[in-house]
Formats: sequence, structure tokens, C-alpha cells
Amino acid sequence: MARVPLGEWVPHVEAYVDVSRPAAQHSASVDALATLVNKDRLALFDLVSKMEMYLTTTDHIVRSRGILLLGEILSRISVKWLDVNTITTLSDFFISRLSDWQAIRGALVGCLALLHRKQGVGCIVFADVKRLVESFLQNVQVQSLAAADRKLCFQILSCILDRYPEAIKTMDGEQLYWICEAIDEEKDPECLKLSFHVVEVVMKLFPDPSGLAAQFASEFFEILSKYFPVYFTHGAGDDLNATRDDLSRALMNAFCSTPYFEPFAIPLLLDKLSSSLPLAKLESLKYLDNCIRFYGADRMVRHASAVWLKLKEVIFSLSPEQLLLTSGSAKDAEKNKNQMVSETLNCLKTAITYIDSSDKDLFINLILLDEDIVNKIHSMSSAEKSILSSLEDLAQVNALGSVISILAESSTYFCTRVFQEHLTHLVDILGTSTDYESRQLNTCNGSSSAAVNYGALYLCVQMLASCREVALVSYAECSSLKLAKESWWLILEKKLDQLIHLLGLFLTLDSRSMQSMFRQEYDACAVKGLLTLATFPEQCSPLQANAFEDILAMLTSVITSKFENVDLWRLSLKALTSIGSSIIEFNASQKEVIYCRTVVDKIVSLLESYDGSMPLSLRLEASYEVGTAGLNHMLRVARSLEGAVVTNISKANGRMECAEYVAHLFECYSSRVLPWLFTSGGINELALSFAMHLLDEIKDLSMLDRISSQGLLDSLMTGMKLLVGVCTEEQQTLIVQKAYSMVSSVLPLPLKSMTRCLLAVDELVPSHSVQETALIGMLSSVIVGLRLQTPVPDMIVMINLFTVFLLNGQLPAAYALASIFNKYLHNPEFSHENQLDKIFDDILERCFSTVLANSYSKISHSSVDISNDANFLYVSSGNIPSKIDILSGLAWIGKGLLMRGDEKMKDISMFLLKCLCSGETLASTPAHEEESCGSDSSDTSIATSAAGAFNVMMSDSEVCLNKKFHARIKPLYKQRFFSIMMPIFLSKIKEATSMETKLALYQAFGHIISNAPVPAVITEAHQILLVMVDSLAKLSVEIQDKDLVYNLLLVLSGMLMDEKGKECILDNIHITVSVLTQLVSYPHMMVVRETALQCLVALSTFPHSKIFPMRLKVLQAAIKALDDKKRAVRQEAVRCRQTWQSFA
Amino acid sequence: MVMGLINANPVIHEKKERRVRQAPETTDENAVEPIDQLEIFDHIRDIKDPEHPYSLEQLNVVTEDSIELNDERNYVRVTFTPTVEHCSMATVIGLCIRVKLIRSLPPRYKVDIRVAPGSHSTEAAVNKQLNDKERVAAALENPNLLDMVEECLSPTFD
Repeated sequence: MARVPLGEWVPHVEAYVDVSRPAAQHSASVDALATLVNKDRLALFDLVSKMEMYLTTTDHIVRSRGILLLGEILSRISVKWLDVNTITTLSDFFISRLSDWQAIRGALVGCLALLHRKQGVGCIVFADVKRLVESFLQNVQVQSLAAADRKLCFQILSCILDRYPEAIKTMDGEQLYWICEAIDEEKDPECLKLSFHVVEVVMKLFPDPSGLAAQFASEFFEILSKYFPVYFTHGAGDDLNATRDDLSRALMNAFCSTPYFEPFAIPLLLDKLSSSLPLAKLESLKYLDNCIRFYGADRMVRHASAVWLKLKEVIFSLSPEQLLLTSGSAKDAEKNKNQMVSETLNCLKTAITYIDSSDKDLFINLILLDEDIVNKIHSMSSAEKSILSSLEDLAQVNALGSVISILAESSTYFCTRVFQEHLTHLVDILGTSTDYESRQLNTCNGSSSAAVNYGALYLCVQMLASCREVALVSYAECSSLKLAKESWWLILEKKLDQLIHLLGLFLTLDSRSMQSMFRQEYDACAVKGLLTLATFPEQCSPLQANAFEDILAMLTSVITSKFENVDLWRLSLKALTSIGSSIIEFNASQKEVIYCRTVVDKIVSLLESYDGSMPLSLRLEASYEVGTAGLNHMLRVARSLEGAVVTNISKANGRMECAEYVAHLFECYSSRVLPWLFTSGGINELALSFAMHLLDEIKDLSMLDRISSQGLLDSLMTGMKLLVGVCTEEQQTLIVQKAYSMVSSVLPLPLKSMTRCLLAVDELVPSHSVQETALIGMLSSVIVGLRLQTPVPDMIVMINLFTVFLLNGQLPAAYALASIFNKYLHNPEFSHENQLDKIFDDILERCFSTVLANSYSKISHSSVDISNDANFLYVSSGNIPSKIDILSGLAWIGKGLLMRGDEKMKDISMFLLKCLCSGETLASTPAHEEESCGSDSSDTSIATSAAGAFNVMMSDSEVCLNKKFHARIKPLYKQRFFSIMMPIFLSKIKEATSMETKLALYQAFGHIISNAPVPAVITEAHQILLVMVDSLAKLSVEIQDKDLVYNLLLVLSGMLMDEKGKECILDNIHITVSVLTQLVSYPHMMVVRETALQCLVALSTFPHSKIFPMRLKVLQAAIKALDDKKRAVRQEAVRCRQTWQSFA
Repeated sequence: MVMGLINANPVIHEKKERRVRQAPETTDENAVEPIDQLEIFDHIRDIKDPEHPYSLEQLNVVTEDSIELNDERNYVRVTFTPTVEHCSMATVIGLCIRVKLIRSLPPRYKVDIRVAPGSHSTEAAVNKQLNDKERVAAALENPNLLDMVEECLSPTFD
């Protein structure tokens, strides 16, 4: 590569050396030079020889700049290969420069860059490192340097320690003393972090007991100890490269670096444990934990008793009040406390596991024979009042419990020791207090004083839990455990029956007199005890089968009978579920049988019973929760839910709440049980059999009659859809065939004749009986849930059938037709696609004519014969509701087509448009100026429902045509529909003359806009903004359009967030602002007012000159809104007013 | 001469919980939510103290209980307590509260601002100054003073 001429790079050097230039220019010139060197366009040798004058001049400012430049360049070419000579020359130079205190910065940077170089690109030779260390130690007085230079020193030091430790290994005491001196009194956080690291590595370098570390431990620790506990309040945002946690961790590592710190560190930490600062306590606990691990048992043994005493002090003195005093708020105190408790217990655990190695009994004796502990346990038995009376008692008992359980769960031996010492005794205490209790119960006829000994109960349960932990860890050697004399297993076995009996007693106790706060503690304890016993690993469970069954029976009886105590009920249910899943986990088949018999059977029977005393939601919850324990259980639950539904349908109880009941059952079945079964893969035949079962049930007409009279139909239909939806294709085929054959056998319609063509309307329209409607409803739910590939028998007949009912105004028939056309219209499996097309056209024509027939006939009627008018109105008004239904049925069919992107959808939307404008045709006919108000309303209602139809087509629905029911959904269909309809609507709106028509068009267009994706709408903003704003103004008159107004307003606010939308709004700012200010006092909906105000706030960011003319208007509106009846609006008004006021 | 702070080391109190907004479905569209003490307090709690980066709430200068309100008779009285007796900032704080309330309340309200009895050495003078319409108007004409007020109010309009 060609070299650069001198003239190009020398100015960079000059710029850097010149102190008066700005810092940005300095760094730019270094970068430029480094790039040149990296690209080989400038030889390092040339550079150095040209810079000779700068590097050696006697002017120390220039010299230091020169050396610094060389150092900086060197640090930026760390990946460029350099030969040995260059490296040696450079290291010679920089090492010699270390003695030049005026230019020390450059020397440090250069040394650091040399040390950082990697092996492959030419690195400093070892002899030079040694020389560097010597020169460094001899010449650099770290503490007299500036912070940045000190940081460099520490970086050099730690880099040498990390990469060339041999260079330091040969050091003598004097040099170590130099390090001490260097880090003494250091205050800069970044330097501190590095210096802690230096200490850590140095101490690790000399593990020899007679080595330097041992000699200097006290000196180093004296320096380190000043920083403990780390108090450092700068947060992450303070641009410092160190946080409190970093510092604290670095210091901790330094503390743990060598066991020679032990004589100094442990007393310091123990001392700080009694500090009143929570921070100091927490830190000491953390450090102590780590130090115990690192220093080793031999060294820690002599501190064992001191450690225990201090930890005991901390554990038993953690009262919430004390913590409140030391820190700010209650929340902080709570958080601190939790952290402190967990840290303390961690530390205790570490102490127990690490200190015991030499003398087995040392630590356990310390704890078990500790006077306080012994006294506390004894006081429980002696004092009659040992029931819970205050939070403080509770905290004490909890603390004691955690100490005991940590002790017991650390090893089998400890567990045995603890059990020998306490279990028998505690169970006896519990027994006597309960005896006393049951005596009371007998005498006072149920109103107990609940003198249960909570302390004993809690400790027993804790001990149970820890021996289960021990068993879990070591269940391989269980057999030896059972044989060993006096092992915990034998002790537990001896007391087991009594214990189970007692725990069960607590569950059945009726302790209403007890303070509710503590009631929960008792319950939780008892349930936890039972749960622990029941979930012992199979091999070493002391529990016999009958005892296991007892426990299950106790918990189950809580579920079935004590549901008024919600906490206990939930706890027991959870316990049962975890017992169930632990059985599955341990693969205990015998227990599973018992579980099924005692728990699942009983709870599932709750579903089938008619017992009204227990709320249904609880029954459902219990069944579901128990089901989650295992697949078989859940299948069982599903079956019994099915049974419950069927019995509820078939039972002629005539209650209205039955419908709600069934709806709940279905809800639980479909939203909880089925999804669970799905995820665990056990679904297969279940839904099929349920669906078949349902179809069997509704076979006869009297049943159908009752179902619809009791309002069950809706929930049954929803349930059926969901069931069919989850079935596979083969299963669906079976269901649909069965449903179809059922309908064809029951329905008194001439189905056979439907195969060819549609029957005449007049023949079919006579309204159908309730039963038939219900039957069609069920058939339609089956059709709605079908998958794309499922074959349907006699599709033509079915389509005809549904059409008949659609013309009769039955919406379910429309759902079915919509699903059919959405899924099958061009499915190649059906050879008769042309036929389908034709049929579809037929249906549409039929619908169109039915909807329009009356209005046209009415027109002719009323124009011809006014005297007949009254008579006619009677007839036609009877038809209006069904016409509206047909319209929305058409909308559903249109939605089906729209979602699959079919062209025929156009026919429907055009027809709907025609309906929207039906008022227009009337208005244009002069003969109807004096038209009676009755017929007028019919036209508007048709127009309104046609507008609603567009909402149906565009919005997502739960009823049918969604993912759950396997609808065919073309991507972006909403966007496409929006862009097709937009120009048509715009021109129609322009043409419309009468107010009614305009309103209907606005409504319809509003539905389309608000359901279309916002980005799509924004791209057309320039075309539709004015229409949108105008429809906001017009629609805000009527209350029934309030949701539409809100949705449109949200679209508008979306536009305000977009650059393009903003531009467009800016062009029409006057009209937009005036509509928004009107909406600020929109009376029907609070969120509309609020959003309008927010939009106005957003508008205030527009160019000043544009919005200033509107300022007064906005302010008036905002001031009016200050007195709004809703608080949220007032709040927004304050903001709006302030923003618009402030740019005066 | 370098001016020291009037109260160099004020006691900082905890901020209280804010009112949580109810979900719109659960609220009745037509129910009236009258202006209440807490709402007034919400307006003035975040006003920044002129000399510290703390809010009036944190310094306990205003509390919810120090606000008297009669919605029917369109009357509000705010009683505030300066942190120290000789606090020369008392008038500025009072002015901030007044400006904020004028901007936040419907114009039908009459706002009365007072120093808590016994909490300030020149109580009567301060009260008089704060409730004299002309003097308040004159004070707001003073650009320095107005800047100061705006500065204190800036965090309350977020």
C-alpha cells in the first residue's frame, strides 16, 4: 500500500501536541493516525522518527503530549502485528519514561497498551515485564497522581497480575508494601474496584503459610476493612463505571481471597452484624456466608460459637417495628426484612454444612443445647397461654421454626438428633392441649376457646417438612435408616398416628372465636403438615395405606363441607392437587388407586349432585383443580361434567336457573378442562362422545321444547360449537351425519324435494314451531364448528334448509350458511361447484327480494291507495323485524365471503348500500313528501340495520367464523375491503341529499373505518379526513352511536400520531378543531370527552402560526370542561388548558 | 454575599398513594363525581418547592386535610404550612398554589389561600398579600416572579 506523504499526517501530530486545540480535534487526530498505521499507510518507525523532537524535548508539556500520542496510537493498533524489535524498542522507551513524572500519563498508557497486546500480534517479552514492574514500583507514587492516572496504574497492576503473575511472584516484602501504600486511602470508585481486584489476586499468588500473603494479611486487611460495608449512593445513571453491587462484590472477593484474613475478617463481620444499619447487617451476612465457605472448617471451628450467637441474635430480633425505625417506609422495611431473613437463614445453613466437618456434634450441640432455644421450646409446653396472641409471638415462633428446620434438613444425622431431642415431646404437648380442647368442645357445646398450641404445631410441621427434604435427598439408603436404632424414621413412625389424628382435628375444629388473622396460620400449618406426610417419597414413607387414606379423607371432607372458610378450602384443595401430582411423579400405583377412590370420586360427585348449598363456582373449581393432578383424573372430571350437563337437560325440573347452570358447566368444560387436556394430549374421543351424547338427548321434540323454553338453547349451541371445533375430521364427519339424519327424520319439511331447487317462498315462510327452530339451531352449531376438509352429507339440501330458515329471520341459519360458504364454496372435493355458485345467487336473490319486496309494495300501495294505508302498515310492520334479521343474516354470509376473499361479496355489499340509500329513493320521489311517519321509520330502521351489517362484516366475532371454528381467513381482508368500499362510499356520501341517508352512510362508513387497520386508514387520510370529521359531528347527536363515535375518535387520534396523518389534519385544522371542541362536551360517553381533550393536547404541537387562531376556541372548551362531572375529564382539561395557554 | 438556603435541611416525607383510575366499564356514565379534597390536593401536591427539588407534599407544606372545600358554594380554602417560621418563600409558595388552582379549577370557584396559624412570623402580612387580587395580579406582571412560579408549577402539568 502506498505510503501517505508527510504533509498529510504530520498536521495530525501537530494538532494533537497543541494543547490549545479542543478535545474533539485531539481525539480525531489520534483516530486518523491510528487508522493510517493500521492500514499500513504509515510505518510506525516513520512516525516515531518524525516525532523524535516531541518525545525528547525539554518542554515537559509538549513532551507529555508527544508521549501520550504515541501511547494512544499504540493502544489503538492492538490487533496489528508488530515485530519483536519494534516491541522491544517501544517497551524500552515506555519503561524508561516511567521515571519521567511530568509525562507519566503517556508512559502509563503506553505500558498498558503493550501489556494488553495478545500473543499472536507480537507481545511484550517476559524480561521486559519484569523490568517494567521494577521500574513501575520504583518510580510511580500512585497516591500522588490524579484519579485518571491512578486508574491507569491499577489497570497496569491488575493486568500484570492476571497475565504475567510470575513477574510478581518473585517480589519481596518491600514491593508488597508498595502495593499497600498504593491502594491506601483510595476513594475513586473505579480505582477502588480495580484495587480490590489487585488485592484479591495478590493474596491468591502466595498461598504458602510462611509466604508474603500470610505476613501482609493484617496490613492489607486493615486497608480493606475501612471500606466495609460499602456505602455508595450513586446510581446507574451517574455515568460511573461502577455500581454499589460491583464494588461490594469486588470487596467480598478480596475478603475471601485468602484464609489468612480469617483472624481479622470474622470478628469484624460479626461485629457489624449487630449494627443498627440494615445495609451493614445485610452486607455482613453475605460476606460471612462467603467467608465461611472459603476459609474452611479448620479455621472456622474456633468461631463457631460466636457465629451462632450472632446469627441467633439476628434471627430472633427481626421484629418489624425495629426495621421500621431504621429505614424509610413500611414497604422498604418489608423488603429489607425479607431479604435479611433469607440471607440470615442462608448463612446459618452454610455455617451448619461447612463447619461441622471435623466434629460432627459441634454445631448441632451449640444450637440444640443453647439455653435460649431450650427455654423457648420449654416455655411452649409450660405456658397455658401458648396460643398465638400477637404478631410478635408469631415472628418468634417462625424464627425458631426456621432454625430447627434448617438444622434438621441439613443431614440425616442432624435430622435424627433433632427428632430425638424434640419431636416426641412436642407431639405430646400438642396432644394435651388438644385433649383439653376437645373436652372444652364437649362441655361448651361446640363453642371452643381454641387453645391450640400454635408453637408446638408449627415446630412439628417444620420438622416434618425437613425430614421429608432429608428423605428426598437420601431415599436410596432408606432401608438402613429404618433399621438404625433411634433414627428419625422410627421416632416419626412411633408418633405418626397421633400426629395425623391431631392435625385432622385442627381441620375440623370450628374456631370462630379465634382472631381471623391467626386462624389462617393455624389452617396453613395443619394443611401443610398433612401435605408433607402424604407426599413422602414412596420408598421411605412411614405412612401406611390406611393412614394415607385417612389424610386424603380429612382434606376431602374440608372440600365438601367447609367451603365457607375460603382460605382453608383453597389450601386444602391445593394440598390435594399437589398430593395427586406427587403420586404421579413417584409412580405410586397403590396410592393412586386410593387417591381416585377417596378424592376424585368424592369431588367429582359434587358436580353431579343437586346440592344447592355449595356454590357451583367452588364445585367447578374443586373438580378442575383436582383434575390438574393427572391426566386420568382430568378425563374423569370431563366425563362427569358431561354427565352433569346431560342430566340437567334431561331432567324435567322446570327451573330457570338451570340454563345458567348448564352455561357454567359448559364454560368450565370448554375454557378450562378442554384446553388443559389439549396441552397434555389426552383429548381424542372425549369431545366426540360428548357431542353424540348431546345429540341423543335432544332427539325428541318435547325435549327440544323444554330446552328452548328454559333458555338452554343458547348455551347448548355454544357448547356444541366448541365441542365440534376441537374434534378431528373423522369425528366431525360422524357428528354431522348424525345431526343431519336426526334433523331429516324429525323435521316435517319436504326435504327430499329440496335437492333440486329452492321451494317457493310462500310455501316455506309460514313460521316454524319452536322445536324446529331449536333443531336447526343445533344443526347450525355443528356446521359452524366444522373443519375445512370435513365432508358434509347432502349439502344442497342443507343449504336449502338453512335458506328457508334464514328467510324466516333465524340468525343461526345465517351462521351456518356463512360457515358453509366460507369453507366449502370452491372446495375441489365438491364436484358441484357451479351448482353451489348458482344456489348462492339464488339465495341472494331470494333474500334481496324479501327485504325489498315490502318496501316496494308499500310504495306502490301507499301511492295508489292511501285509504288502505292503515291496514297495510299493520302487515308490513309485522315484517320489519324479520327483514332486519334477514339483513344481518346477509351480513354474516357476506362476512364469510369477505373473509375468504370471494368476489361475490360485492353483490352483498352493493345490496347493503342500496338499503342504506333506500331513504334517498323515497325522498327523490315527490309523491312521498307527505309520507306518514310510520313508514318513514321502517325505512330508517332498514338503513340503520344495513349500516350495522357493515359492522358485522368488519368486526371479529366469537359466535362463528373465527380461528377457533376453522374459518378460512385471507390475510389483510379488512384492508382490502376498506380500499374497495372507500371510493364508493365517498361518492355516495357526496350524492346523498337527505339527512337520514347521509347519517346511515356515515354510520356504515364509520364501522368500516374504525374496524380497518389504522395504518391503512392513515394512508388514505387525505381523502377521508373530512368525511370522518363530518361524521363525528353528525353522529354525536344520537346516543346510540356513542361507541361508533368513540371508535372514530380513536382512529382520528391515531392519525394525529402519524406524520402523514398530521400533515393532512394540518390542512383541515379549522374544521377538525371545531369538531373536537364540540366533542369535549359530548354528553353520552366520558371516554369520548377525554380522548377529544387528549387530541387537542396533541394538536398543540402543531406549528404555532396554524393553531394560534383556534386558541381562544380551544381554551373556552377546556375551561368549560374544567367543570365536567367526571374527574378524568377534568384532569385532561387542566392539561389541555395549560398547554394551549402556555404558548400565548 | 452568597445567600444560604433558608431551610438547608428540610425533613422529607413519604409521598402518599395516588388515586387509582377505575376501569371505564365499571363506572356509571351518568354518575357525577364531584370535586373533592383529594382532587384539589392532586392539583397542588406536585408543586415544586422554590428552593429544593422536592414537592410540597414531600415537605408536608400541604396535606389533604389542610384543604377545605364546599362544592355547592364554590369555595376552596387551602391552608399551607411553611417548613420554617421565617420562610421568605411563603409568599411564593402561596402564589404558586393560587396560580395553579386558578388554572385548574372552574372559574366559578373562589380560592382562599392561608398560612397555617402560628406557622409563620409574618402571618397576617402573608395572608393579606396572597388574597389581595390586585397584588396577586401585580405580582404576576413581574416577569422574574412569573418565571419562578412557572418553574415551580412545571412538574404539575405532566
